[in-house]
Amino acid sequence: MRALSILAAVLVLVGLAIVTVPAISPPPRTLAAPGEEQLAQQGAALFARSCASCHGSEGQGTEFGPTLQGAGAASADFQLRTGRMPFTEGAGAQAKRKPAAFDDQQIEALVAYVASLGDGPQVPEVTVDQALVPEGQRTFIGNCAPCHGATGNGGAVGGGALAPALDQATPVQVAEAMITGPGQMPVFGYDQHGLNAVASYVDYLQHAPHPGGFAIGGIGPVPEGFVAWVLGMALLFVIVVLIGRRWTAKGGDEEHVP
Amino acid sequence: MTAERSIAVSLIVSILASLALPVVYVLVGGNPQLEGILLAVALGGLGLAIVIWAIRLFEAPVEEEPRHEFGSTAAVEATADALDLGSITRRRFLGSLLAGAGGLLAAALVLPAFSLGPHPTRQLFETAWRKGSRVVGSDGRPIRPDQLATDAVQTVFPEGNVGHADSQTLLIKLRPEDLQLAAERQAWAPQGVVGYSKICTHAGCPVGLYRAEDHSLLCPCHQSTFDVLRGAVPTFGPAARPLPQLPLELDAEGYLVARSDYTEPVGPSFWNMTHTEMPD
Amino acid sequence: MLRWLDERLGIADWARSGLRKIFPDHWSFLLGEVALFCLVVLVLTGVFLTLFYVPDATPVTYEGSYLPLQGQEVSAAYRSVLDLSFDVQAGLVMRQVHHWAALVFVAAIVVHLLRVFFTGAFRRPREINWLVGIGLLLLALGMGITGYSLPDDLLSGTGLRIIYSAAISIPLVGPYIAFLLFGGEFPTATIVSRLFVFHVMLLPALLLGGVAVHLAILWRQKHTQFPGPGHTEHNVVGKSFWPSQVFKSTGLMLLVAAVLALMGGLVQINPIWSYGPFIPTTVSAPAQPDWYVGWLDGSLRLFPPVEFTVLGITVPAPFIPGVLLPGLAFTIMTLWPFIEQRFVTRDTRFHELLDRPWDNPFRTALGVAALLVFVIATLAAGNDVAAIIFNIPVEVMTDVLRILIFVVPLIGFALTWRVMHELRRDDRVGPARPPVVRLRRTPDGGFEEIEASD
Repeated sequence: MRALSILAAVLVLVGLAIVTVPAISPPPRTLAAPGEEQLAQQGAALFARSCASCHGSEGQGTEFGPTLQGAGAASADFQLRTGRMPFTEGAGAQAKRKPAAFDDQQIEALVAYVASLGDGPQVPEVTVDQALVPEGQRTFIGNCAPCHGATGNGGAVGGGALAPALDQATPVQVAEAMITGPGQMPVFGYDQHGLNAVASYVDYLQHAPHPGGFAIGGIGPVPEGFVAWVLGMALLFVIVVLIGRRWTAKGGDEEHVP
Repeated sequence: MTAERSIAVSLIVSILASLALPVVYVLVGGNPQLEGILLAVALGGLGLAIVIWAIRLFEAPVEEEPRHEFGSTAAVEATADALDLGSITRRRFLGSLLAGAGGLLAAALVLPAFSLGPHPTRQLFETAWRKGSRVVGSDGRPIRPDQLATDAVQTVFPEGNVGHADSQTLLIKLRPEDLQLAAERQAWAPQGVVGYSKICTHAGCPVGLYRAEDHSLLCPCHQSTFDVLRGAVPTFGPAARPLPQLPLELDAEGYLVARSDYTEPVGPSFWNMTHTEMPD
Repeated sequence: MLRWLDERLGIADWARSGLRKIFPDHWSFLLGEVALFCLVVLVLTGVFLTLFYVPDATPVTYEGSYLPLQGQEVSAAYRSVLDLSFDVQAGLVMRQVHHWAALVFVAAIVVHLLRVFFTGAFRRPREINWLVGIGLLLLALGMGITGYSLPDDLLSGTGLRIIYSAAISIPLVGPYIAFLLFGGEFPTATIVSRLFVFHVMLLPALLLGGVAVHLAILWRQKHTQFPGPGHTEHNVVGKSFWPSQVFKSTGLMLLVAAVLALMGGLVQINPIWSYGPFIPTTVSAPAQPDWYVGWLDGSLRLFPPVEFTVLGITVPAPFIPGVLLPGLAFTIMTLWPFIEQRFVTRDTRFHELLDRPWDNPFRTALGVAALLVFVIATLAAGNDVAAIIFNIPVEVMTDVLRILIFVVPLIGFALTWRVMHELRRDDRVGPARPPVVRLRRTPDGGFEEIEASD
């Protein structure tokens, strides 16, 4: 029972953390169209310094990192802005979301360089639109919820992999993930409309109210069961013990005064 | 605080909460949190008052009560005499006839329960896939392999049966050189596109999780894992059977079609699945 | 008023003896009452929900106030639960109180059952009430499972298909049973209305009738009591039903309701709007049942992939962990009073005095081991959630639990056995009890002192 309650406590805390972590809204940004080539040159220098040791001097890939030729701007933008690259988690681990290691200007340069290595998906433009939320919900439940959970809180997908929580994902990042399939994630080839819809629903989820009270993680019956025991049943147990004590009329314990 | 005062305070708190409840209902209009808290205070205040009353204000002495002694021989025998079952069982023939009549009537009355479900026949062995069924997405549009990116995954149905539960199939585009299908299935995956039943062979959940890097399908219900490259054989978890593979080919226009229905029952196993017919 | 009733019903004598009935004073006897009062809350909130719920799987278009589902095709049943949650005033709090009450109801039953088991309260002459109690537990589980499935959301549909798969896995009769239960091959449109009939009519009728029998037998046989000064096999020592016990129980009922109301108002449970309507081709992760079915789900997750065919009869993988083993466990638990009497203690005497857990170390150790198996199987149902918390692969988590489910109960058995034997030794040479004065109520309502026979 002790292990149970510790686990429960951890779970509730994790749940509360998930609920209370505020969504980070990214500053709007535009890819600098003029000077694309110049940017790519800056990126090449940065790449040689920070990325080439794993991805190879021309981004051709090594035993430590995959080829980036054909990865495209969307993939590079996603990996760099979510801090997954540079990869610091250690061999065999899954790249995790971290604060980005480069500033906006550096990322734009690196993205331009990776894009210049070969044809790949461009950074998508995404519009969040309330009217698209119902359509996004359908697609999300059908294709995203199996791994990321119906509430976008993430989940274990086996093989040591985690589908990350989507509470910090920006609309553009959501779309980039769908068209590039980072890590274990498969590729979902939606058109612009589909990307907008899913991104709109993820955005909705990030701001969704919890009309029932504390959402306790929003991952269904596991935390609910723990709360039923460690809050409900435990509280009632205390009440029962207090009522059931052998009280005397003066409020003391009657144990030895029959 | 004296007992009387504690009880009075509890009751007043309860009264205030009870008064606030209709105010919330009418003026605030449906706020589960306020409603829950006020309800709890109203109930809890009243409950607390009654409990304190019971504990502090009643001079209840500890008393003793004798137990009834059950099962005295005399009582049992007297009752058996009163029942006088012998007078009934003595008439052997009529007695058995009575029991038989009652039993058969009960059996006859149970029969309508069989109206609750149809007799299982072919439906457990078949899906809506047929030779030449076009593969369509949930939007009803047919699919060509070149429309799919490598590692793309999509839930598909036979044309005209979108949403059909038995026929749901996962379409996955792989690099043809990665595939390690059995010899007789070599032709089932045109341009590296494989189709597997999406219904787990363990407990029937949709096998909705695809791990693109290790080409594995995972069922979220009990973590059965299937290797997509090797005919969806189970690699972890409680499923014992591979996911049935849909034989695919391309039609004249280059769209994916089924070569036939699944060659084995889809979904969770049942006792006579290795037969081809349900006994009647 | 009393005269008016007595003239018509002749209840005065009967009522007086009832009011004077002696109840032993021990907190652990209140655990069953907690379950009873959860049931009261369940009935009251359930009636409210029934007035709004629509047991109909017909597709309709949702046009309520929850934005992401607006314009979508859902079942009438699912729409009615959405409306209850968003558009019926006080509907959500009622739904949540009902669901929390269900979770706590089964928890209270389990705690009550453990109290009865570890104190040997099931021994002769109380075998019948043990059987009735097990029946009530099964009915409560049935209520829980049918209730979980009624909203027709994605999670409940996933639960139903696992139940269908377990039913169809039974050799020889599985497909017939599954088709009779579901009205055909899963998914069927009839299942929602069937569940409704079971959840609001058949099972509650049986449950309430069973509770009445359970209490009537208790009333007739009187409570057991712990050994203590003046407590013998032939008496009951405690306080009279009226007024103190009635007040305490009424207070407890209100406090149980208060706790459930608090949970229902503050902690969100089963947000069916997040899961969306049941669609047979999709699923969300993690997918779990409510806690009291977790041990079955965990058993399915832990069991190795065993499926074999003998003489043309296939034994499907879910059969052993999902049907056979749980069936065996429940059978042993049901028959435990008789098994213990026949094979363990060979004790056929009547017992009105309870065992302390250390009075029968074997029973206590066995109970602890069984409880640990149950707990680990229940935890296994959350192996994917635990994998995230502990940051290890879900496969490793599963393998660890596969080992723990054998090791931990064995250790638990050995430790409990040891500790109980030591407690028993200490108890025998324990501190002398203070002298005891016992009172007996005299026919004229006074008290007289009798000598202690302890």
